[in-house]
Amino acid sequence: MMDYFFTEEQRILIDLVKRIGEEYIRPKALFWDEREIYDPLPIKALADADLFGIIVPKEYGGLGMGVMEMCLAVEWLSYFCAGVSTTYAASFLGAYPIILFGSEEQKSRYLPKIAKGDSLCAFALTEPQAGSDAFAIKTTAKREGDHYVLNGVKQWITNGGLADINVVIAITDPSKGSRGASAFIIEKGDLGFTVGKKEKKLGLKASVTTDLILNNCKIPRERLISREGMGFVVALKTLDYARCGAGAQALGIAQAAMEVSLNHAKRRIQFGQPVYNFQAVSHTFAEMAMKLESSRALVYSVARYIDSGAKDFSGASAMAKCFATDQAMWITERAIQMMGGYGYMRDYLPQKLLRDAKCLQIYEGTNEIQRNVIARELAKVYK
Amino acid sequence: MERIIVCIKGVPRPGTVKVDPETHTLKRESAELILNPPDRAALEMAMRLRERYGVEVVVMSMGPPNVAPLLKEAFALGADELILLSDRAFAGADTLATSRVLAQAIRGLTPFSLVIMGLKSVDGETAQVPPETAAILNLPSVINVIDISYSNNRFYLTRETNYGEEELEVEPPLIISMNPKLEYFRPPSLKRLLQARDLSFKSMTAQDLNLAEDLLGLKGSPTQVAGVFEKVFSQRGEVWKGEPEELADKLINLLREKGLLQKLALINR
Amino acid sequence: MHNLIIAFGEVYQNKINPASLEILTPLWEISRALQKGLSLLILTDNFSKLDEDIDLKKALCDEILVVENRELAEFKDDLYSKVISSVITHLNPYGVFFPATLQGMALAPRVAGELGVGLCAHVNALELEDDKLIMIRPTYGDNIMAKLFSKSFPIMATLSLGAFSIREKGEKPIIKKFDLPEDFDWSSKIRVKKLKATKKEMNRLSVAKVVVAGGLGLKSRENFQKLFDLAEALGGEVGATRPVCHAGWVEEDRMIGVSGVSVKPKLYLGFGISGAIQHTVGMENSEFIIAINTDEGAPLIKMAHISLIGDAEKILDYLLKRLK
Repeated sequence: MMDYFFTEEQRILIDLVKRIGEEYIRPKALFWDEREIYDPLPIKALADADLFGIIVPKEYGGLGMGVMEMCLAVEWLSYFCAGVSTTYAASFLGAYPIILFGSEEQKSRYLPKIAKGDSLCAFALTEPQAGSDAFAIKTTAKREGDHYVLNGVKQWITNGGLADINVVIAITDPSKGSRGASAFIIEKGDLGFTVGKKEKKLGLKASVTTDLILNNCKIPRERLISREGMGFVVALKTLDYARCGAGAQALGIAQAAMEVSLNHAKRRIQFGQPVYNFQAVSHTFAEMAMKLESSRALVYSVARYIDSGAKDFSGASAMAKCFATDQAMWITERAIQMMGGYGYMRDYLPQKLLRDAKCLQIYEGTNEIQRNVIARELAKVYK
Repeated sequence: MERIIVCIKGVPRPGTVKVDPETHTLKRESAELILNPPDRAALEMAMRLRERYGVEVVVMSMGPPNVAPLLKEAFALGADELILLSDRAFAGADTLATSRVLAQAIRGLTPFSLVIMGLKSVDGETAQVPPETAAILNLPSVINVIDISYSNNRFYLTRETNYGEEELEVEPPLIISMNPKLEYFRPPSLKRLLQARDLSFKSMTAQDLNLAEDLLGLKGSPTQVAGVFEKVFSQRGEVWKGEPEELADKLINLLREKGLLQKLALINR
Repeated sequence: MHNLIIAFGEVYQNKINPASLEILTPLWEISRALQKGLSLLILTDNFSKLDEDIDLKKALCDEILVVENRELAEFKDDLYSKVISSVITHLNPYGVFFPATLQGMALAPRVAGELGVGLCAHVNALELEDDKLIMIRPTYGDNIMAKLFSKSFPIMATLSLGAFSIREKGEKPIIKKFDLPEDFDWSSKIRVKKLKATKKEMNRLSVAKVVVAGGLGLKSRENFQKLFDLAEALGGEVGATRPVCHAGWVEEDRMIGVSGVSVKPKLYLGFGISGAIQHTVGMENSEFIIAINTDEGAPLIKMAHISLIGDAEKILDYLLKRLK
């Protein structure tokens, strides 16, 4: 219905992601969801297609593309399976701190592996007592000569155990409050670093979520990202970038939900005609389309705004994430309603889409926190 | 190891093909061409060998100019060099005339260690071109290969035969056809897809290959189509319509009448 | 000159492959009509090992032509083709035919390439038109059969598996050893390391009394797998169309039709099969055909003795439910 004036490169990217989705994801998405299986094959396909290199600068073997391209890839992967796109997008969450704040040594050590898809990444901020209140984290990092020693537990970490590169936020100086945290790179195999059991989730079941356990985990000093005390700056900036990706996930899920339920409504005959002919049904689809396209317009606008070199975009990216994910929740719920009993059956897609969409309102900052951010940024503009 | 050559073929997307009423051969120029599905296994195996042994991969295709996008696809999968074999004189070739062209082009790429093709094309369904090309070049051939490795100037192949899996040691150069089933096929790479936009590649004609025209195409093909006929089926039996349950019940009654459910009755007892 | 027809006799574990005996049936007819001899050509390291094979003694041919050499103990594509080419060069036969087994498919094109002669693949029927041999096979497109002939000699073709039934002969064929020239080069670039015989039993599709076949109309691999339950209940075998095999729903050895198996069961049940000729040439001789498909205009519906118009998946589900 709409043309978003993609560049030729963006169109090639979208076609490639759709092709991967059709071949490696669509035939198995319901099966992975039903059995809660992480399948490495679609991730291998994404790696072979260079899609892990989208946001990695060219000099480190990536494609040097922007947030907009990252969003397009995430959107169309989510259209096929938001579980797979979560594994994919969470890897960017772990890569952004290195891209944005990493030293030259860190960049040349990690980014080529990330770009090739040889190493998955994870980003670890949340702890059992520190969810929305991120400043309440208790994981500590103590300097010991040329090393840091980390202790603590990180909770609900996407790609836990799969990731070779884990960016962990830990307190280096409890006396300094929000300026007392630092960001570290923990590699799979580091002594004292283990992974908890795989969590059972409502949705996004094709992705892996675990605790990360740091028990006297001793790492070299060079693993510190930026400087001591920069931990929350690194974390918040990373989330500002990545939030658009969560909005893009919502677009893909909502697109799939609208399509599958619309196809059903146009073919399902009741009272002698397709149920789409009834206004209660067709108007619901009109609402879905408006909510979807306004979400898309917002996500794309914010992505392009970030790529334009904007400095402060916390409020904008919070709006994109919050609005698009709320709409996706509404659209997936209505998609089930529009399919009636079929929508409720686990043989059909809508119930999966609804369960997947639910997480988007929660992770990478709950939508309540997003509203706080938006309100705070508003107050800065309108003094 | 010397270079690897992969031969791929464009086949008409199902439903887009037209047959020339005169020669009864396919009009490939008008059809939308897709990569012959079994050739994907040939490309994938070549790319694996390229990764494992750092060997150069040349991909060639004989066909009308509209096979060019398929060569670009091969580039996006990792091919180092592309060659299009295209000439009106090639049109209407049977497997022998096709094999002559491929053999000549392959000879021109000496030294090479391995030529990989798909087991068969889904349009002609003959599976003849790989061994036929090998025979013309006086090289060994192995069909229906499922795995390849290489060491000390020998290829170690596993092929699926009618009797089981057979392991072979073969002295290069040789020509193989790949069994189409692999557990994984890589997608094209985004980087290479972007590069492929303005990629030019070598195109060779009969003259470039130094091939006499009377050995090529329809003229050079010893097998000819004498005619085609359509199998027309007139309705011969009953047609049952109704709800699925109803039809299933009727069918069970029929099977019972035909005495086909006796075995089942025994099982149930 | 051109007064002999040769059929390739494939041997495995000291027994003739029945596929080689199948192709003798049409070749016998052709050879009688054209007044030519029919030879079954066997390559072996030791012919006496085949003494026990009763089937071979009843082979429908005039003679069994034997090339014996210890290098022929294992199938080596390059050596076997060289031997056959040499036999052809010496005997100058009218035609040379192979069963479309994997060995036949590996050998025939090599021989044709070495001799520079024409070769037709997967032929389903042989006919004579004014003493000219016409080879018939399906061609691309819907329901189109092509009549092919060869301008070169020997005429060569591979013949589809199961397309012909084995017929026996009363008297034993003559056994004739054929010696290649002294200077024949018995070397090969291929060394057979080992053969891991298939663990799974070969399916008995080509001789099954009941065949339950499925096409893309079954919509998914999972639905297709249900055919195995039905086949078990009916004491039959499962067959498939080409697209189903290409989609990976089932092994290719269950493919019925061109480059697959031909079946002649008492009952053929086709679920969600429209009936492209590539499939129907392999099942049209079934005694009783039942087709289940949504499309009333599908060729298989027209061929069938009884057609059920409806969703193949649903009807299959109800059938299995009732049978349980």
